[in-house]
Amino acid sequence: MAAPLNTTPSAQFAGPSYLQAFRPASSMSANRFDEGYSEDTRSQSGSEVVVRAESRLSDGIAMDQDPQYPLPDWVLNMNETERSEFAYAILRSLRTSSIAGIVEKLNPLLHLDPVIYLPPEITFQIFSYLTPETLLRASTLSRSWRSRVMDSPLWKLLFRLEGWNSNFPQVRTYEEREKARRVETKERKTRARGAEEMDYERPSTKKRLREGTLFGDGTSSDSSIRDKLEPLTLDGTKDSPNPWGEQHGLVEADGSPTIKVEDKEDRMEGIAYHDSSTTTTPTIATFRRQKKETERGDDASMSPVSPVSMDPPIKLSLLSTSPEPRINWQYLYKQKKRLEDNWDAGRYSNFQLPHPSFAKEAHTECVYTIQYSGKHLVSGSRDKSVRIWNLDTQRLIHPPLVGHTASVLCLQFDDRPGQDIVISAGSDCSFILWRFSTGKMIRRLQDAHAESILNLRFDDRYLVTCSKDKTIKVWNRKEIWPGHDAYPLSTTKSSAKFPEYIINMAHHIENQHLHFKPLEPYTLLMTLEGHGAAVNAIQILDGQIVSASGDRSVKVWDVRTGACQRTFSGHSKGIACVQFDGRRIVSGSSDETVRIFDRATGAEVACLHGHTNLVRTVQAQFGDLPGNEEELEAEARAVDNNFFEAQRKGLLSQEMTKAQRRARNAGSRDPKALFAYGAKLPPGGGGSKWARIVSGSYDETVIIWKKGQDGAWIKSKILAQNEAVRAAGGRPRRPVTQNHGHANANANVGNQAQPQPQPQLPTNAAVQHANPNVQALAQHALAQAQAAQTLAQQAQALHAASQQTLQLGGNPVPNTATVVPASAPAGASHPPNAPAPAPAPAPAPAPHHHHHGPHHHHAPFHGPPLNPPGTGTNSRVFKLQFDARRIICCSQDPTIVGWDFANGDRDIITASQFFGESV
Amino acid sequence: MASSSTNEPAKQIILLTTSDNADMRVEREVAERSILIKNLLEDLGGESGEAIPIPNVNEAVMKKVLEWCEQHRKDPPASQDDDSDSRKKSTDIDEWDQKFMQVDQEMLFEIILAANYLDIKALLDVGCKTVANMIKGKSPDEIRKTFNIQNDFTPEEEDQIRRENEWAEDR
Repeated sequence: MAAPLNTTPSAQFAGPSYLQAFRPASSMSANRFDEGYSEDTRSQSGSEVVVRAESRLSDGIAMDQDPQYPLPDWVLNMNETERSEFAYAILRSLRTSSIAGIVEKLNPLLHLDPVIYLPPEITFQIFSYLTPETLLRASTLSRSWRSRVMDSPLWKLLFRLEGWNSNFPQVRTYEEREKARRVETKERKTRARGAEEMDYERPSTKKRLREGTLFGDGTSSDSSIRDKLEPLTLDGTKDSPNPWGEQHGLVEADGSPTIKVEDKEDRMEGIAYHDSSTTTTPTIATFRRQKKETERGDDASMSPVSPVSMDPPIKLSLLSTSPEPRINWQYLYKQKKRLEDNWDAGRYSNFQLPHPSFAKEAHTECVYTIQYSGKHLVSGSRDKSVRIWNLDTQRLIHPPLVGHTASVLCLQFDDRPGQDIVISAGSDCSFILWRFSTGKMIRRLQDAHAESILNLRFDDRYLVTCSKDKTIKVWNRKEIWPGHDAYPLSTTKSSAKFPEYIINMAHHIENQHLHFKPLEPYTLLMTLEGHGAAVNAIQILDGQIVSASGDRSVKVWDVRTGACQRTFSGHSKGIACVQFDGRRIVSGSSDETVRIFDRATGAEVACLHGHTNLVRTVQAQFGDLPGNEEELEAEARAVDNNFFEAQRKGLLSQEMTKAQRRARNAGSRDPKALFAYGAKLPPGGGGSKWARIVSGSYDETVIIWKKGQDGAWIKSKILAQNEAVRAAGGRPRRPVTQNHGHANANANVGNQAQPQPQPQLPTNAAVQHANPNVQALAQHALAQAQAAQTLAQQAQALHAASQQTLQLGGNPVPNTATVVPASAPAGASHPPNAPAPAPAPAPAPAPHHHHHGPHHHHAPFHGPPLNPPGTGTNSRVFKLQFDARRIICCSQDPTIVGWDFANGDRDIITASQFFGESV
Repeated sequence: MASSSTNEPAKQIILLTTSDNADMRVEREVAERSILIKNLLEDLGGESGEAIPIPNVNEAVMKKVLEWCEQHRKDPPASQDDDSDSRKKSTDIDEWDQKFMQVDQEMLFEIILAANYLDIKALLDVGCKTVANMIKGKSPDEIRKTFNIQNDFTPEEEDQIRRENEWAEDR
């Protein structure tokens, strides 16, 4: 044994005073007790822990303290080795059973409880290496283990290590508000009860202390230390001789545990209760429950402590039981895990906008775009209106925002007070700025593009719009001067077109032309040309614009110079949607796939088959851990090396079969399945096991994709839009007079005045030629048909490239279906689809029906009967968004529907407000 | 008191005094694996030759710690921005360290405490991982045995806690 025995006490703290902060376990032996702890009377419960260690140690190591058999001096004077030999000799003189008995007694000396021996910051680090499952098992070991394991900062770390996002501002706001509420409650109490209250309080100090240890999680007050994840805390700035004791210091200083229990009448009128509406209720309910558990009939105004109560309580609630109101991360972790389980098991409840009882608030036509954040959702429709909804009440917060003269195709909003803006755009080629909080129009920019604006995104500096006119335009959001770091940098390398008022600073300074003018907000900064077809979708992030086009390519542009930095190809047909997270570009196409590209290298790292029609909307969440680029790259390297290894060994066949090529790779690491190497992302795109992609398609379904065992993306759930409407209490609608029968090709051609966004017309070439004339006619004749038409063209543009390819009989893109007709499924795993005018299998609509006939526009809301499941419905998904808890999508059906994976669970709903955005 | 007055920093020998009053001579480079000692030496100007008191670590533990420092003397210094976000959950320990950590539990904990006090991050990590590995994959009873933990729950309480923890079980 390496234990120190008779160290000289005087040598103990001979060093400078700042070194005394630390007490190793050995210094707990009894002969040092007084020095270390006698003056530390305030840490009562802390010393309880120490006393336990104490008694154990005095049983064994500090043998000289045993009162019954005091060791003679000559034994104590021996050195360690001698004494050890002597003890062995004594043992040898005993019978085996006695030795066994001694061994039994000695056993505890060899096995020490780390929770007693090691301070919380060190057990924190130990626990951080363990899985939640192991930790929860450890929480059943003993009370002291449980209180160390059920430590909010530890679970905060675990939460982060899962790659889960949280909404820290919301956490802080909630804690601050709760704190303010408690202070106010306390003040009110003090004022109300007056002086005798103070007298009453004083003798109860002891009780409050006890209560503090029972309620407090015992470790939260030093959470600030471990928040910083700094295990080395015992430096010169902290000179408490007892790292255990400090955690209880606050309990005495702060009476709030008492308040917390006493103020039960007040709680009902508390600020937080009203402010945060329904979400707070379960917290309080939980707290009450737990209070009941602990009260056991005590007078509520007295200490509610019962000796058998659990610390921390068995059922944890949103706020940890520390004196300061703190969000309990163990609770958040638990609810997040339960929520994830609901996603995986497909447990959800449906809801819709409008509220079924206020059906008149609905859009009157199909809804092309939505965005939501926390509490609000904004939608834009073919009915030309923008509507702002409260997601909690499912009600409109303003009357519809009217101003567009044609379909609203895209929008974005920011409801933060500093921004307070909605920007919408659409088929009228204009964008409109609205004040979010009032619903009032701020400004309209007419004819921003030559044709329909198909998508827009903005950040703090720029608004970026893209159009059917094949261009992308960049606008400033704030006034900027030449030289400002948002001002365009015109370079010769860039093919971007700059308006003549954009000046080249360097040039101007050289020529002494120094009469600069600022650019007013929403001035056109540049026009990006380069796409060969309509630009359907756009993203802006960190100065990079990512655009997706009907020309089957994705391009990345520099927002200041307008230079195209990279073109990504892979899709075999036009691309309808794109998402960019800085590392990966996720796109959905009319080739019915979702693909993931590595931003850094352009490699296609995954191709997801599952939809049976155009993928119109996609969102991906990879759940990266902060700062894991290197890990991702290392992972990618390892996969590459496996590939080369397999290639060397001749394990890979020279050529993939056509079926394999067509199927591509959904993210498998199997060398045989690899399509690209040299990427900075592993196959599938990397991310945590919680990674999720949700895609919506013209096949009227929403697919939730998850990572499978080998990292490949698999379909986790398929959700049907029209089923969701029914489940939400509404009724899926369709045009009254519209025949959804699978019209034949002739009917289709004869009906050109109302083309609709159907990308897979076999008569595409003819349609394209016919369209401009028809469009002109239609615009004159039927104003309302314009939107549909524009969309049709948009959709056709999506496919122009692939159609062209077919017509030319060539295929410029390797690894794609060379001989497969454009309308045939691109993937091997598809159910048979209708390549020609044949009827399509339900629920995927055949290529030729006409949802958007003029009758539709005037179809009364109440009219249509329920669609029998499986028949042609009106549910092509146009846009979806998901967060930690919900998927919300809009479709041809004017009703916006959502899947809420909290599934009505109060705890999950309460916790969800603290979960981060899913982007 | 013996003091080394060499001007060659790499070979400089310093003197430490442990909690049990033992004087230990050690190469400065080895001792400076400890950030605490490194900072102290820098504060003292490095030339004083005075013994540095290490009042919270005894000789036996200090010996072990210095053995580790000797082995890892050439390791790159721990990066300061190594925050736990990027900390892998891996508890892999290299072979030498594993052997090094094969000590009785009291020594193990004292090494951890000493590493914490002396600010030797890598050693603290290895120690914590070693303890974590002693918890991993064991049933509650096995863990209790490993660490001589007294179960102070009533069977009812234990049952309640177990039921409350069911959410984390694999589906």
